[in-house]
Amino acid sequence: MGASSGPRLSGMQRQVLSLYRGFLRAARLKSAEDRHKIESLVSNEFRHNANNVDRKNFLYIEYLVRRGRKQLDQLKSPDTVGLSALNMGPSSSICSAG
Amino acid sequence: MALRAALLRHVRVPLQTLNPAVTLTGPKWGPPHLRWMSSHDDHLTKNEVTDRVLSVVKCFPKVDPSTVTPDVHFQKDLGLDSLDNVEIVMALEEEFKLEIPDKEADKIDSTNLAIEYIYNHPMAS
Repeated sequence: MGASSGPRLSGMQRQVLSLYRGFLRAARLKSAEDRHKIESLVSNEFRHNANNVDRKNFLYIEYLVRRGRKQLDQLKSPDTVGLSALNMGPSSSICSAG
Repeated sequence: MALRAALLRHVRVPLQTLNPAVTLTGPKWGPPHLRWMSSHDDHLTKNEVTDRVLSVVKCFPKVDPSTVTPDVHFQKDLGLDSLDNVEIVMALEEEFKLEIPDKEADKIDSTNLAIEYIYNHPMAS
């Protein structure tokens, strides 16, 4: 049997993975210590959201992706050595908008 | 270049005599590997690619090394999630000094696809 044609990722999943990859690539350019901190932070935050956000809550996910992209842009600036998480759990009003 | 080739013909340094402190950086959890004037060969052999891919995967913190074979699926067989998949592909980029575009990276979800991709990549080293 040949290789599979690849996982069937939704557009949204691709965006999330692309963002995650973007963070990891940006982290590579920082010092070893900063890189490690950034990777831990980003890994925790993405997994926290993956476990806690309803995959059908497109509105909230899009919000998170937009916010993540802005944070990534800031991270890419050579002045930024780290970032802190803004851990906002999904409030009931945002969830029910989905 | 000719001088270098001449040197290489005459200087044969067995790997064991190399100072293990001298390593090229690979992925941060990966095995250190020693390359000594090795760019003389143009292309990696499939076996070399396979060995190195498997060792990167085995060294991934969430993986049980005894379950890793050349035909194992990261998520279905190794119990990883899609974010881990991204991390593994990036570790492979570091090991082989490649940059893999998102579109291709999204497809690499097993050791055999990783081996195929890297083996066929002209820039892998």
